[in-house]
Amino acid sequence: MVEKRSDRERESILSTAASLRWEVGNDLQTSLMESIYQNASRISDQVVIADKSKARLAWEHRLEWLLTSRWTGFPIMFLVLAMVFWLTISGANYPSQLLSGLLIEQLYPVLKTFGADLHLPWWLSGLLIDGMYLALAWVVSVMLPPMAIFFPLFTLLEDFGYLPRVAFNLDSLFQKAGAHGRQALSMSMGFGCNAAGVIATRIIDSPRERLIAMITNNFALCNGRWPTQILIASLFVGALAPAGLASLVSAAAVVGITLLGIFLTFATSWWLSNTILRGEASTFSLELPPYRPPRILQTLYTSLIDRTVFVLWRAMVFAAPAGAVIWLVANVHFGGSTLAEHLIDLLNPFGVLIGLNGVILLAYVIAIPANEIVIPTILMLTVLSSGTPDLGHGAGVMFELSNNAAYMAVFKAGGWTLLTAVNLMLFSLIHNPCSTTLYTIYKESGSLKWTVVSALLPLLMGFLACYFVATLWQL
Amino acid sequence: MVEESLEKLLIAVVGLVMLWALFRPVSGFFWRMLRASRQSDRVLIEDGLKHLHDCEYKGLQCTIQSLAGALSINGERAVRLVTRLEALHLVRWDGNLLVLTTLGRSYALRVIRIHRLWERFLADQTGIPEPEWHAAAEKQEHRLSEQEANQLASKMGHPRFDPHGDPIPTLSGELPPMKGKPLSELKTGEFAEIVHIEDEPETVYAQLVAEGLYPGLLIQMLDQSNGKVRFAAQGEEILLAPVLAANITVEPAKRLPETVSGTSLLADLQPGETAEVVNISRACRGLQRQRLMDLGIIPGTVLQVGMRSAAGDPVAYHIRGAVIALRREHTKQINVLRVEENQHESQ
Repeated sequence: MVEKRSDRERESILSTAASLRWEVGNDLQTSLMESIYQNASRISDQVVIADKSKARLAWEHRLEWLLTSRWTGFPIMFLVLAMVFWLTISGANYPSQLLSGLLIEQLYPVLKTFGADLHLPWWLSGLLIDGMYLALAWVVSVMLPPMAIFFPLFTLLEDFGYLPRVAFNLDSLFQKAGAHGRQALSMSMGFGCNAAGVIATRIIDSPRERLIAMITNNFALCNGRWPTQILIASLFVGALAPAGLASLVSAAAVVGITLLGIFLTFATSWWLSNTILRGEASTFSLELPPYRPPRILQTLYTSLIDRTVFVLWRAMVFAAPAGAVIWLVANVHFGGSTLAEHLIDLLNPFGVLIGLNGVILLAYVIAIPANEIVIPTILMLTVLSSGTPDLGHGAGVMFELSNNAAYMAVFKAGGWTLLTAVNLMLFSLIHNPCSTTLYTIYKESGSLKWTVVSALLPLLMGFLACYFVATLWQL
Repeated sequence: MVEESLEKLLIAVVGLVMLWALFRPVSGFFWRMLRASRQSDRVLIEDGLKHLHDCEYKGLQCTIQSLAGALSINGERAVRLVTRLEALHLVRWDGNLLVLTTLGRSYALRVIRIHRLWERFLADQTGIPEPEWHAAAEKQEHRLSEQEANQLASKMGHPRFDPHGDPIPTLSGELPPMKGKPLSELKTGEFAEIVHIEDEPETVYAQLVAEGLYPGLLIQMLDQSNGKVRFAAQGEEILLAPVLAANITVEPAKRLPETVSGTSLLADLQPGETAEVVNISRACRGLQRQRLMDLGIIPGTVLQVGMRSAAGDPVAYHIRGAVIALRREHTKQINVLRVEENQHESQ
């Protein structure tokens, strides 16, 4: 009996509670949240003593004004960023040559002789030394020096507190494209390396804007693609102008491609935020930390470990097997010709349709781990397929050339025209990210779907752009 | 050769135009196809039950004509629908009025529950713009199973009201009686709180949203003359046509009325000015609202406007010792009271 009664009492209490819940109205949860926050702030006001002397100083106000006012903010930003890029490109030249001299010109022959001394079968030494080792050496010597300069410089600017001001100044531009101001930073980082740029999107704390920044990072021309752009522009575009203007014209072509990349970043961000990413949640707030003297040693250490070594390691992991694939493709024979030649024949009709050729397409497929090895692969494949082995270093061996005339000889043998060159520049900007970047996108987003979108969207855009240029060209 | 290329170019241009038509934002054919769901039998039945429940809840009379009008189908189809509903024992005739059976009512409440839960979800956890919630929920209510709806509800902490202020039926089908009165019944000078904004028809709702109105907003009736309703909200005067005003339900204000006037929006403050936060508008929801509170923007916080960015938006604010940049679209949703500089110093 007693139990029966208490049951009934419980029922009635519960039903009263349920009906009261309707009474407390619409914003019970918000008022609860608000009172929790208010309590927290009251407690912190009681126990935290703020040091008034740490208030911002006059020079900080003047600096703040200088860096964010309408007339000085943008020019200073362009100057600083141009400075960083110039330091990277000019500063990386010498160590890059040193490394490639060491790893490719000196160590590579030593390894070959060592392999011969061990009586390794030709295919094993080819696979290991010509394929895997060379690809690794290439990636390291081209990638390491610029990253080792660019990332510390960038981290120093971040540490000083300047980068958040860049995001602050550029935010309204990104807002119009449905993106976050901090994308300016991940984009700048992408000019160094897209994989690092994708990691840098971690600073964007809104889910939708972060995905946008990841997918469009590829349109920032990375370190591995600058040399391609500069080489092709000076060989083909610069040659159109009179000798005195050649370097100016080719520089303008590279800048044009870079600006096109920035434009595509905004256009694609806008499209993504208005279509497939429309429903994702989004927030905005941007902290502007106080300026402080950068901690140089700590910055050097963290940027080298967190960014440079991390990205380099990831690239090497992908480059070694790709080197093996590149060597195999050039050395496995089917019915009298190599696998590479079969594939080139297969890809050629489509390549020609979009103003490229089978060699370039195949190079982009097998050199997917790193954009750095695309040109060496193109050279090797061209020599292989055009039947001019004396220009190269043997089947499956990637190589570079010492002067422009030698490059022109190989490209002429491959049947290149000005159209091929222009479209290669376009395609180098607008194609799928390298596998290192794709893997990073997968790791960061945790989603196969967005990784596939990041790969296919730019690839399709690149095909379209090349097709249009090729068709217009033939008018 | 030239003609051939021209032809190819033409094909390419046509291809590009088609791609644009398919994939352009919002009205692209592909997205529309994706959104358009078939008007299946089940959808008609559920929508019909919803309409009947709506009539019952508001104390209106439901006939075949009103049913046909609400579902935008012709009379013949409406008759067929009612026959179907009767055969399923979901409705019965009471004289010449249609009424829900117990079975029909609980079915209707299940559908309404999913609809309103989904609107709540869209409002709090996605970035989908407000005018699209209703249409999206109209689709989702026919797709989500009851189990999925329960999971959704428990994940959101069993919300009681949808973002328009409508109560969400409980699992056992409970609904509180309708509250409030139409806006037009307020007397001059009376304070009230908006408790509900009807989300149909869509164009009317979009206009009310554009005026910045939302459930939870405190208003003061100024006057009703010349067929216009004039009231104050957030320190601004709002003038509505009676058609619009009829879609707003209000209740006598429970909170302090002084927050209605004298406040300004944070976005309207000039650099250097100091202000105290009154509240964050209910129109700012979900993640963004939480972010603002995380930053310390809660009633009573005193903040100072810092500098504008080089492009004018966003603006930096000094909040609790930190400098935080916020966009105009969000500072428009924060109500503040201006604080005189010297008065603030002496505190």
